Amino acid sequence: MSEYKRPLPQITEYTQAFWQAAKNGQLMIQECRRCGHKQWYPRPSCTSCGSLDLGWRQSSGKGSIHSFTVIRRVVANSPDFQRDIPFVIAEVDLDEGVRMYARVEASPEQVRVGQRVKVSFREATPEITLYTFSPSA
Amino acid sequence: MTKIFVTAYAETPVSRARVDKGEKKLTIEQYYAWALNMVLEQTGLSLSDFRGIGVGVTGSAYPRAEIWSAEVVQNLGLEPRLLLRGDHGGANGAALLVAGALAIQAGYVDHFLILGADTPMNITGEAALTWRYELDYLMPVGMMGPNSMAAMMMQRQIHQYGYKPEHYGKISVSQRENASKNPNAYFRTPLKMEEYLNSPLISDPLRMLDICPFVNGGFALLLSRDTVAKKVTDKLVKVAGFGSWHNLDASNSLKDITTTGVKNAVKQALEMSGIKLKDIGLFNAYDDYTPVVIMQLEDAGFCEKGKAGKFLEETDITYRGELPLNTGGGLLSYGQAGMAGGMHHLVEAVRQQRGEAGERQVKDLRYSLVTSVGALEHGGTFINNYAIIFGGE
Ligand SMILES: [Zn+2]
Repeated sequence: MSEYKRPLPQITEYTQAFWQAAKNGQLMIQECRRCGHKQWYPRPSCTSCGSLDLGWRQSSGKGSIHSFTVIRRVVANSPDFQRDIPFVIAEVDLDEGVRMYARVEASPEQVRVGQRVKVSFREATPEITLYTFSPSA
Repeated sequence: MTKIFVTAYAETPVSRARVDKGEKKLTIEQYYAWALNMVLEQTGLSLSDFRGIGVGVTGSAYPRAEIWSAEVVQNLGLEPRLLLRGDHGGANGAALLVAGALAIQAGYVDHFLILGADTPMNITGEAALTWRYELDYLMPVGMMGPNSMAAMMMQRQIHQYGYKPEHYGKISVSQRENASKNPNAYFRTPLKMEEYLNSPLISDPLRMLDICPFVNGGFALLLSRDTVAKKVTDKLVKVAGFGSWHNLDASNSLKDITTTGVKNAVKQALEMSGIKLKDIGLFNAYDDYTPVVIMQLEDAGFCEKGKAGKFLEETDITYRGELPLNTGGGLLSYGQAGMAGGMHHLVEAVRQQRGEAGERQVKDLRYSLVTSVGALEHGGTFINNYAIIFGGE
């Protein structure tokens, strides 16, 4: 496999469980053990009650497109995406009630607001497997 | 209560540092020096008059020393009692204005000098550092910075409210007309709607002419307590009211991406100033992107949420119109001086209130509203939201 040339996330003490699960094909979101609040992106405390006692809940991986854009120009820090252009990035609202930014593997004309999507996973490096979505039904 | 007046303003001509076209390539230090020098020239004050005042310095897009405000005052020979640095992105100028006004009201200083400069066109190689959330959860999936985020907001506006390209285009075209009367603006050649519609898609539905261009530039505003303001100038511009809100709806994981906290900020500013929105004769709204202007038109209350399309069809928003909007050209035509960009809207409003805007002067102007947003929000719009009202006695 050739060298991976795209930006990669930093794995930290409180995000390693997420990235480990992604390698196993599971999409995890944070859930507060005190108040039940769910959040994405992972943070060290609950944004609803401030608790440090956060657990992980497996998402169904299903959601709908809240909004999207078609990327037609890359910026200086992401030149390797040039070969994918044009491609779609969406804000996906998971059925569990959190919003995440993700690639949608479909041509721009196939994508619309409100469309149902489901998650799949693509290995980037031995440490990082990235989540991606594609249209369902 | 202590009244606060703006007693001086400065705005340098801007540059895109195209040395091949004969444009100047100045450093950020030079723009700070130039802006301060313009204040000294305008007021006749000397540096020694500024001993013990408050100074606020905007951040910069290119990574600077962590202790940047200190370096700025050392470079300039300023000796302040209070020294603050903004890190509010597009709302840097407004945030420093609020902090400075509070410091004057508290009796801590008599004057507060806001200095803002940035030189994003000088950045080579190393890009600006960005947020951890963008590095970890946006860039790896292919998001291309602020353009992609603004495009999502615009897509959702179009979905929810049925806005047409011509609605966004009207903002771009009208602001260019204003800029054509502003010798300091970078883009001054009038624009036709057809040119807007033909401008290339960068991140659908966002076109090139929906996006503000970077420029290098510098700005200043001097705030003064009522008891000493007249010693600086006879042309007093009152800070009639202000408001601010951060991280609206903080724990909501599914935010409305067509709304900003500007609605809270404007409500506060109107209450403080004791005026109504209909008294506002000029509106300068932060315009890094045209859809962001539309949100602020709605959130300020000039039209209902979702009704901005009709409003834009029926309203002349040039300096001659019913609601003059971004009369100096805004970031879309004047240009965005990086992290100091939001100073443009404040400086232009002050210039208009003083009746010094030349060909683009708004007639019979009583009150101006400036709204600023900054810091793009994960899954939302903007974290920092400000409103400032100038005018009155
Ligand atoms: Zn909680």
